[in-house]
Amino acid sequence: MRAFDSRRLALLAGLVTLAVVLPFMLSGSTLTTATFVVIGAIAATGLNVLTGYCGQISLGHAFFLAVGAYTGAKLGQDKDLSALIWIPAAGLIAAVFGAIVGPMALRVKGLYLAIITLGVVFIGQHVWANADGLTGGPQGRTFPAVQLGGFDFSPGKQLVVGSVTIDSTGLYYYLALLLLAGATLFAYSLRGSRGGRAMIAVREREAAALVMGVDVGRTKVAAFVISAALAGVSGALYGSFLSFAQPEQWSLLLSIQYIAAIIIGGLGTTAGPLLGSIVIFALPSLLKSLPFLPEEGTGGVSVGTLSTIVYGLLIVAFLVAEPRGLVGLGARARTLVKNRTRTSPVSPHLPEEALT
Amino acid sequence: MTEFLQLAFQGFSLGCTYALIGLGFVVIFRASNVLNFAQGAMLLVGAYLISWLAVDVGVPFLVAVLVAASLLTLGGAGFQAVVLRRVTGQPPFVIAMITIGAGIALVAGVEAIWGPEQRLLGDPWGSSSFQVGGVTIGWVKLWGIVVTAVAVAGYFAFDRYTRSGLAIRAIAGDEEATLSVGVPVRRMHAITWGLAGALATLGGLFLAGFPGAPQPTLGDAALRAFPAIVLGGLTSPVGAVIGGVVIGIVEVMTSGYAPDWTGANFYAVAPYIVMIAVLLVRPYGLLGRAPAERL
Amino acid sequence: MTREPAISVRDLTLRFGAVTAFEGVSCDVARGELFAVIGPNGAGKSSLFNALSRVYQPDSGTVRFLGEDFLKLRPQQLAGKGLARSFQNLGLFPTLTVLENVLIGRHHLMRAGMLRCGLGLGRAEEQGHRHAALEALEYLSIADLAGTEVQLLPYGHQKRVELARCLAMEPAVMLLDEPVAGMSSSERADMTELVRRIHRERELTLLLVEHDMGMVMSVAERVMVLDFGVPIVTGTPSEVQADPRVIRAYLGEELQAA
Repeated sequence: MRAFDSRRLALLAGLVTLAVVLPFMLSGSTLTTATFVVIGAIAATGLNVLTGYCGQISLGHAFFLAVGAYTGAKLGQDKDLSALIWIPAAGLIAAVFGAIVGPMALRVKGLYLAIITLGVVFIGQHVWANADGLTGGPQGRTFPAVQLGGFDFSPGKQLVVGSVTIDSTGLYYYLALLLLAGATLFAYSLRGSRGGRAMIAVREREAAALVMGVDVGRTKVAAFVISAALAGVSGALYGSFLSFAQPEQWSLLLSIQYIAAIIIGGLGTTAGPLLGSIVIFALPSLLKSLPFLPEEGTGGVSVGTLSTIVYGLLIVAFLVAEPRGLVGLGARARTLVKNRTRTSPVSPHLPEEALT
Repeated sequence: MTEFLQLAFQGFSLGCTYALIGLGFVVIFRASNVLNFAQGAMLLVGAYLISWLAVDVGVPFLVAVLVAASLLTLGGAGFQAVVLRRVTGQPPFVIAMITIGAGIALVAGVEAIWGPEQRLLGDPWGSSSFQVGGVTIGWVKLWGIVVTAVAVAGYFAFDRYTRSGLAIRAIAGDEEATLSVGVPVRRMHAITWGLAGALATLGGLFLAGFPGAPQPTLGDAALRAFPAIVLGGLTSPVGAVIGGVVIGIVEVMTSGYAPDWTGANFYAVAPYIVMIAVLLVRPYGLLGRAPAERL
Repeated sequence: MTREPAISVRDLTLRFGAVTAFEGVSCDVARGELFAVIGPNGAGKSSLFNALSRVYQPDSGTVRFLGEDFLKLRPQQLAGKGLARSFQNLGLFPTLTVLENVLIGRHHLMRAGMLRCGLGLGRAEEQGHRHAALEALEYLSIADLAGTEVQLLPYGHQKRVELARCLAMEPAVMLLDEPVAGMSSSERADMTELVRRIHRERELTLLLVEHDMGMVMSVAERVMVLDFGVPIVTGTPSEVQADPRVIRAYLGEELQAA
């Protein structure tokens, strides 16, 4: 495990404090955005394990998010179970699907795997559009609000502790933050131990990893399972926070947003998924505040369109100019500040092989 | 029987368009190992440029097509020369992701400029058709087949009989060796991107022909062409053409004959189910070859 | 009672389509022996190593490895059975640190699964193995590089890291694929000495593929010469050096090169 110097520890403590007090500093709609960011970052952390650590290219993340969301809906609403059951179950069921899709990575590699997972998204969308009982069909369905013991997360409800009032958005924010902290710690511990090293070995040199005794197949499947589980948890929260979703939302574009998030944040890094999620999932509301944009629904360029253009270009810009993402930019900035003459080595944490 | 023939014609015609799109993918992939996810965006831009030139600017349709194809050729070559050249040697995944980023930005850009509503293509054929033995033959579909045949023949002639074609085949075999004998590899890469741009324009033209129209979702068809190139193998132009035709026919036949339990719009995912099955049995496609293993 | 050889190869053949990498290779390597495979370029030496570490699957023949039917084992089991190898073009993981690379060598000795790792329950185990990995680095006098990313190291150091990783695997048999290739003459001398020392101190069976004749003849106990994928002579260094077929094989190469 990498050593924590005191400055890093202080920075971390500062960030955690900021994350905890954030709901009291933000207005309602901004807090909603922050909540989407944190929920998204859970799934991005999962994708980072699969793509950043293990080097497996998946366009299928939207599928696992949907599996989690519909598991939550089925158990939480249709069966009326507690969130203590349906949130973990969402992760578990998604993990099972990860274990089904994962072995495909043993047959096909690199870009072929990307295409297969693309197919998984399309087949998933077809199933979602037709499984009316589960998904409500093309019209969509409602999702349950989280109920945790005495905490009711339904819109309009509030939690009052002494002089502090937290509304339902705030409750979602804290729950997601807690789960994100868990996911990040999991990924961080993994990276510094036997399992994470095996994943990186598979990413960088499969043949050599095999000779070291790494079970390449199991490692890839494990990466898929972990990634899917986190996507499932994130999807369940996402559906619940949205309270309503249609099958067409679990689209390729959603998968691409997560890929964009981990690339922009910094592939294979600990902070990358969160940083990238801030950029990707806060972008629409950031753009909305720009003065020259017309009001929603009055014609002209929509916020969605504009943010798609921006993050499309961000993907290109980062991959061309700074493949290590925001984390890499930060490292560069630090190097500049310290005025070191030694140029920092550009070492993109990227899968080496992909259809060579 | 008439229904079958009708579907077969429509499937073949759609398959020809997929063949054009698939060829666009393969042209780039075999020369530089890049899977161009922006192909759909390119054909969308092509269709909109044709529509804009023919309808808004008012130039003759043929001129609109030629100008659009030229612009896309330049645009494709320019993208390779300006952007992708900087990431030469990066893993294929990185470059594929760059094309994804460029692709979604392009599609959204088209929507920002021309709006989300569908437009007129401005083609001379419209919905006109004629009958042969009870089968309705749309003029635009027939032209789609003819143009595909000419474009595919043209591509194979280029591949076989020109110096550039030979150079590109050599690069596909061994890039370093080709570079070492003095072939300008970068220029060849730009040429393949230009070719892909021209092919995308033609694909976009016929996808936007009746009963389709230029609209922002047009580029999604390129994603449906993925099964075609995968079936054929990403490195095989012949495979892309055959795969494209097969997928077109499978798609249209499925839309006509799929049983109810498969659900609405099953035709759109049927090719993907076939593709996944094929890939699991033959990981590099039916006609593709496994990359030589290097240690 | 004579002990069974460490490795016993019979009629091993590997083809790539129409090209034969090697054919009808048989040899016994005794436990604790330092056995070298030499031959002109393209003679099939590295292919033989790749088959002996199951990176390639041989087409026919048998291999017994420490008493087991080697070809029945799955490639990822070999490390656990006591096989370690180095690669001709380095098999290191470039973005990992030196220490992490060596720790992967101990992957097969560790038990923590993905879940335990993620939950941070593998720490105690990790500590012990970290210690062993550092020891291997110290043995090769590169412990000061432990925290450096491998891709930042010069080639000669990378070769040492790979050797340290082989040692950390605690193998019974070590395959070294051209350990001194691409090195300066002083680095060669150091590496030759290291190989000799490892063999002497660690009671290993060592198989060596090498181009550098000086090195092979000075360290190997027995040598097998491959030419065009076929073994032509096996014997002590002095026997091999005196054999006219070997001279012809190498001379032929030199004549072609001239």
